[in-house]
Amino acid sequence: MTAATLITPGSDREQIVEGDNPLGLEGIEFIEYATAKPQALGQVLETMGFKPVARHRSREVLLYRQGGLNIIVNAHAKGSPLSDKPLISAMALRVRDAATAYRRALDRGAWGVPTHVEVMELNIPAIHGVGTSRIYFVDRHQQFSIYDVDFTPIPGVDQHPPATAGLHFFGIVQYIGNDRSEDWTEFYRELLGFQPLPPEQRFGILPKGCILRSPCPSASRFYIQLIEPEAGVLDVEDDEGLHRMGLGSADVLATVAELSRRGVEFVSSISVQTSERGALSKTWLGSVSFEIVHDVRG
Amino acid sequence: MNSANMNDFSMDSRSLAGALSAKLKAVREAGFSQITLCAEDLVGHPDGVDAAVASVQASGLAVTGFQATCDFEGQSGPLHAFKLDLAQAMLCLCQALRCPLLVLPASRLPSDTDDAHAVVRGLRQLAMLAIPLNIKIAYQGWAGGARVQTYLQAWDRVCDADMPNLGLSLDGQEVLAANTPQDDLLADLEMLDPDRIFLVQLTDLLTHAGQPLRVLPGDGAHHEALAVLVTSLHGLGYRGSYNLAAFNADYAAMPAQHVAQRARGSALWLGQDVLQRSVPLPNQIRLRRSLTV
Repeated sequence: MTAATLITPGSDREQIVEGDNPLGLEGIEFIEYATAKPQALGQVLETMGFKPVARHRSREVLLYRQGGLNIIVNAHAKGSPLSDKPLISAMALRVRDAATAYRRALDRGAWGVPTHVEVMELNIPAIHGVGTSRIYFVDRHQQFSIYDVDFTPIPGVDQHPPATAGLHFFGIVQYIGNDRSEDWTEFYRELLGFQPLPPEQRFGILPKGCILRSPCPSASRFYIQLIEPEAGVLDVEDDEGLHRMGLGSADVLATVAELSRRGVEFVSSISVQTSERGALSKTWLGSVSFEIVHDVRG
Repeated sequence: MNSANMNDFSMDSRSLAGALSAKLKAVREAGFSQITLCAEDLVGHPDGVDAAVASVQASGLAVTGFQATCDFEGQSGPLHAFKLDLAQAMLCLCQALRCPLLVLPASRLPSDTDDAHAVVRGLRQLAMLAIPLNIKIAYQGWAGGARVQTYLQAWDRVCDADMPNLGLSLDGQEVLAANTPQDDLLADLEMLDPDRIFLVQLTDLLTHAGQPLRVLPGDGAHHEALAVLVTSLHGLGYRGSYNLAAFNADYAAMPAQHVAQRARGSALWLGQDVLQRSVPLPNQIRLRRSLTV
């Protein structure tokens, strides 16, 4: 057992191991989309209750926010042209010490991502994730934020707009190839300390696949859901990538009602129906959808 | 004779003389659908690696495995950092070829650390690097390995490393050279998980001046032992590819087409006579493993 292992009170009687949190993971700092159509994605985000609050100092990058949710829309092409279809290109994790987290990940077999910072910008360490995505490590989220350095606030805009109907970050859905659940479970377990949940523990209305729980404190805990292709007869090559965000809500039906008033449409089909457990938005721009999941945060 | 019986067999490029394009042509014309390549095939291409990769893809051959002799595992400090960079380059080449398997022969270098776990830690690191690329690692014990010289030793390290995409490459030469009694061989093979045997390298042996000479199955003196090995693996549930990996100075002096045709004879013997494969129907489809179990 490592020093980072959490043991619940009562350990004088029995040791109940809650799991390691080797990086001191404390939640999600931001999710980043890459797109050649940042304004179209921005409209989608605003429909979902996000507000544009800041622009990047040197690149075509916008920060959207509601409550504790930060989304970065990146239209700054790095070499190859961006797709019109928005793609979740990164997730940034809050950790105890970003440099230590980065070195630890490299020691265990992560691919480091070379950074290209401009003058006076932060060097945020990152490793390669699924597909072309990145996983950033951020440790400046308490005294001051990374946005204070790299972004310029949009004048006259509330920098901390409240969350729509108490929405908070719940998780992210990752599409993976056939027979790849074990690989990705090990990836997130070894590098970041995630633990797979038993198959009977499921959230929301889309229970398929393997769910990994982050080792964060309960107030900032989030999940990664790994989904293999539908069982079919053909053994085909599969693209892998981050597919959609999951947003937590203490009252799914109230949240759906509020978002519907804002113009969000939800999937209603034989297999997917809005309920107290969750809901799924229709897909915008060919690739963007949001899942609402019942989740009460203290 | 139908080439569909050859679908389980790949031809090792090291068995063939000449440039990459000549090797690809010879393998294709001999009726193979798979080939196993090594870094030298790509970096030695006169027009560069990208052109080499393009020619492989244009050949229509699937790349079953990519041999990465990089003496990776078991080092520390700057040497490990150097080898890590090399291993990453190998993985990138493997990915460029759309090859699902990197074959890692055990390192020839004695470990430069007293840490008994250095080999296992290195294997875990390499397997982890391979996960985002959707590549499996097949670790292979061999006589030239400094610490790991047999498939059973390699299997122990694979089990210790315990990574889902790390398995074994089993070299038939080791089995033939050891001349293990059949019952003992079967007992040894039963220790392996057939799902974690990612590749079987097949060769026959001739003895020349006391030294084993790797030749194609059927060209050597160990027909029966080879047949026992293949049928035993099949009986244990191995359903992966067999790589025909025979290389010697004589093959290197022959035209690639000639050696590839001899390899075709090896594949047909193993497929039809030893494994007694039926010829698949035209337009066959592969069922996913989860549906066929």
